[in-house]
Amino acid sequence: MNAPQPALVAHRPERLRLVGQRRQMLAVMHQRLMFGMLVYAGLVALIALRLIYLAAFGDHAGRKEGLTALVPERGDILDRDGEPLARTIDAWSIAVHPNKVIGDKLALAEKLAELMPERSAENYFAILRSDKTFVYLRRRAPPDLVEAVNAIGEPGLALDREPDRLYPQTTLAAHVLGFTGIDGHGGAGAERAFDNYLSDPSKRGTPLVLSISSKVQQALEAELGEAMQHFSAIGAAGVIMDVHTGEILAMTSLPTFNPNAPGQAAPEQMFNRATLGVFELGSTFKPFTLAMAMDSGVVSGPGQIMNCPQVLPAYGHIVHDTHPFGRQCSIAEVMMESSNIGMAQIADRLGTERQKAWLKKMGFLDRVEIELKEKGRPLTPGSRWGPFETMTIGFGQGIAVAPLQLAMGYATLFDGGIYHPPTILKIGPDHPLPQGRRVFTADTSYRMRSLLRLVVMKGTGKKADAPGYRIGGKTGTAQKIINGRYSQSINLTSFAGVFPMDDPRYVIVVMLDEPKATPETYGFTTAGWNVAPVVSRTVSRIAPMLGVAPAMNREPNMSEVLPFIHDAKQDSKKD
Amino acid sequence: MSARSFGSLFMVASCAGAALGCYLVSLRVASERAAVENVENRIVLAKRDMRMLQTEIGTRGRLSQLERWNAGAFSLSAPAAQQFLEGSFELAKLSQPQKQVDFKAPVVLASAPAPESKAPLGEPVQDEAAAPALPPSAMLREASLKTETREVPARAVADQPRSTAMKSADRPVTAAKPAPVKSADMPGLAAAKSRVAQVRSEHPAATVPPQKKSVDKPSLAATRTMTKRVELAKTDPLAPLPDKHVGKTKDSPTGR
Repeated sequence: MNAPQPALVAHRPERLRLVGQRRQMLAVMHQRLMFGMLVYAGLVALIALRLIYLAAFGDHAGRKEGLTALVPERGDILDRDGEPLARTIDAWSIAVHPNKVIGDKLALAEKLAELMPERSAENYFAILRSDKTFVYLRRRAPPDLVEAVNAIGEPGLALDREPDRLYPQTTLAAHVLGFTGIDGHGGAGAERAFDNYLSDPSKRGTPLVLSISSKVQQALEAELGEAMQHFSAIGAAGVIMDVHTGEILAMTSLPTFNPNAPGQAAPEQMFNRATLGVFELGSTFKPFTLAMAMDSGVVSGPGQIMNCPQVLPAYGHIVHDTHPFGRQCSIAEVMMESSNIGMAQIADRLGTERQKAWLKKMGFLDRVEIELKEKGRPLTPGSRWGPFETMTIGFGQGIAVAPLQLAMGYATLFDGGIYHPPTILKIGPDHPLPQGRRVFTADTSYRMRSLLRLVVMKGTGKKADAPGYRIGGKTGTAQKIINGRYSQSINLTSFAGVFPMDDPRYVIVVMLDEPKATPETYGFTTAGWNVAPVVSRTVSRIAPMLGVAPAMNREPNMSEVLPFIHDAKQDSKKD
Repeated sequence: MSARSFGSLFMVASCAGAALGCYLVSLRVASERAAVENVENRIVLAKRDMRMLQTEIGTRGRLSQLERWNAGAFSLSAPAAQQFLEGSFELAKLSQPQKQVDFKAPVVLASAPAPESKAPLGEPVQDEAAAPALPPSAMLREASLKTETREVPARAVADQPRSTAMKSADRPVTAAKPAPVKSADMPGLAAAKSRVAQVRSEHPAATVPPQKKSVDKPSLAATRTMTKRVELAKTDPLAPLPDKHVGKTKDSPTGR
């Protein structure tokens, strides 16, 4: 029953089946062989193509990468003539790995103290015995010191090159440039304001060109520094600006610091008096009051006659003059003699609201528009701004602005009345001149020329005159507030000048903080005696560099003001 | 052995030759490129060196350093306004012909009798031979306008009659020059010249005659006393109205 059942269908013959299998296997083998060959050929072709490519376009073995570009670690800063003001160089640093020192640590400490005497041998020994892995001994080391340290031959000492910021002109324009910290980022000035630009790898190859002219800057710093020393002033500031573009050619604040070693500077030295400090600048404000009044139609012109008494009682206070007229006087005389009484009356006629609007328009109520981050906020009477405050602001007391703002105001007044924001970048294709804003009328701007020239020719600013360069300007002696009261003896003197006055091109503002009297000033500490000569000397030095040709026979149109000057000498001759 | 049987061989050879040629061209290009790169690298390295050297020379010759050298050693000053000229005509105007004295020419004396000295009694008679003798300083031609340096000691303020002595104290070299007192026996410029030469040869190192002390000592003494005493004027000399009463301010700020 269990016998296998015979197949119902006849079997395929064995031979036929074998032939079919072999054929199939052969086809598979062919396929596999072909596939392997193709892969192999592909690889060979790939290598061959790569070789051909390398032969045609490839680099050769001796190529030095990264040398073709010469991009500094941080962008250079140049002055307007291309002189480097800040550069990044490779400096040596000396460090020690205390745990890798193999020699005698005591002897090494003594040698180090001999070479680098800023630390004692005990100090060095303590460092060498500490369990720190890495200690900087000296950064920015001079090459001969590095050589001497290398000669010790201690493997634990590490001599490395690291990028370091160098200011070749040392203290020149220190407050404009600022400094960089140990991390390589800007700590003040342009280094801080343009930190992103200077450290951006795609931009740092092209240097940052400032509007500063290092020669002009040097002249200003030297003359101002000498005056500061001579008159024992506690500080000084100076700004030279291009009237037409708002470019700052020179800006200094004294005492200054060395940006190569910012850590050694005192806070007093770091303080930028030109932009961050705000001061009551006194009579240098008077031209603005007069220009506002002329533009508002309150004053007809330099020939208008007004009453100038010995003292002026107003709103419960008394306004004084140092040289009171005690008679009728013209506007030109008010300006020439810097009469507070005359100017207070003009400001009173102008009124508080109009004065505020004008000051706002001139940019005196806001922080100064400049790229630097160190900007001081102007101080105004605020809510106490009444009619008497309007009068005092009229002659420059009661409002505190930065010296740069004063320069900006003069630039506006003498650029035909058009305001351009001050800038420390050179105006050029990369930084075009922004659209200006009209503040004063061109006519007022023109008429102010002869008035300010008159101050230097015949008034309080005689010592500011530089023969041939037609300086016009205004002195300012402001009393400092000491313990809440205006001091009679401690002053802040300033001079704001413009040259050449027949076609104004440059503004110069200088300021001395608390100058003392000397024998040759006959005991005076007023601006005409201490800062005005600085202007004269500085302009004589810089005007030829700036392309202002001296001319002894050119003047602004003085016939606009001279007829309105009461000449005491002529009167005495007639008598 | 026909050429046809070598056809394929020729083909292979020419192909190989062409490939080799192509490769050689490419090799040549590559080597040229490498050479150019090498030069470029050297340019960059040279630029880096130049930058380093420029930085170094710029740092050593920084403007403040130049100013210090100038104040201490060179005492150069900016050109004054009068030194700028408009054009060649103004320049030509400056050089007026100088009268030349021919020293070798025979001395011709006028035969007319000299007039009697008409000076009144009591007044010193001026030495006629000394009159044409120019002071030696007049013969020195200075290249540029001389302005006073900043380094001079403080100047006496009130000592008006001594103002010329003060000026000579500013420039000790000219002050040291002897006055041509004894030149009466030698005529004219020659006397002055030989006098200068004589003085120089006699005192090669120190050209300071004893007169210098008598000139300079009182002036120095004067400056010393002047720096101590502070003179205060009653009114501001800058003011054109000095006769008016000067009001003293007490209770309100005063700007001037």
